[in-house]
Amino acid sequence: MKLDHSQPLEYSTNQNSVNIFGFWIFLGAEIMLFATLFTVYFTLSNRTGHGPTGTDIFEITPVLIETILLLTSSFVIGLAIHAMRLGNKKAMLTFFAITLLLGLGFLGFEIDEFVHYVHIGAGIQTSAFTASLLTTLGTHGAHVTFGLFWGLAIILQVKKRGLTPETANKSFIFSLYWHFLDVVWIFIFSFIYLK
Amino acid sequence: MKELFPAKQIMGFVFSLILTAVALAVYFLDLSFSAGLTILIVTAFVQALLQLIVFMHAGETKDKWSIYGNVYFMVFIALVTIFGTLFLFLWDM
Repeated sequence: MKLDHSQPLEYSTNQNSVNIFGFWIFLGAEIMLFATLFTVYFTLSNRTGHGPTGTDIFEITPVLIETILLLTSSFVIGLAIHAMRLGNKKAMLTFFAITLLLGLGFLGFEIDEFVHYVHIGAGIQTSAFTASLLTTLGTHGAHVTFGLFWGLAIILQVKKRGLTPETANKSFIFSLYWHFLDVVWIFIFSFIYLK
Repeated sequence: MKELFPAKQIMGFVFSLILTAVALAVYFLDLSFSAGLTILIVTAFVQALLQLIVFMHAGETKDKWSIYGNVYFMVFIALVTIFGTLFLFLWDM
């Protein structure tokens, strides 16, 4: 294995940089996945049938809390990668844990939001509007849920194996995923809740 | 301790909070639909670029143009899909 020391650890082997680029291509496909969900939502958001409209059901406070939680977690995972590049494993793992806790907080508020929607009669089968809304939010939420398990697995692996080219590579790729979820949320926040 | 909090990322975080606050103003101020939407489009895309460059380190390695090329191409296809559909189904063109 040839190590290129001019690059950070996560890029240090050829395999590593190919892995990272491969993940960028996957994120490209994810952009498209969320674009189709936004397409459906924008097309159907006025088709409320006998159900409630967006203005009836959206509450800004929990949505704002979710936004701040996810935005902060995206910042903290950035700090984790910075600490990793400094070779500070302890700080990196602390930042990773904070990131996942913030993600868990986000998910808690989102689950509460979903329960609230169903409670006030805006379930997934109520109208084309609620169906497309809950599918879009749910797909993002499912990604965050998956990320929590993935991040936890990475914490355990770094704890066990230390910072190697492999674990650094996996951690960096996870950070790309987490930042991407924050970007998707920014678009959900702007074009679903605020519009 | 200080080296764990790089100025660039802290600035990025502060800037993204400011952009969120500006976007939020659209909700509370009584703006016209198109003025509000314009502000949201600007704040959302600037914030996405900020994440891409500051936090995702997109421009730091040799493969930067492959990364940017891939992302911009997919964003282009995404916008064509979204606006193409809106043209057909909502704006009746």
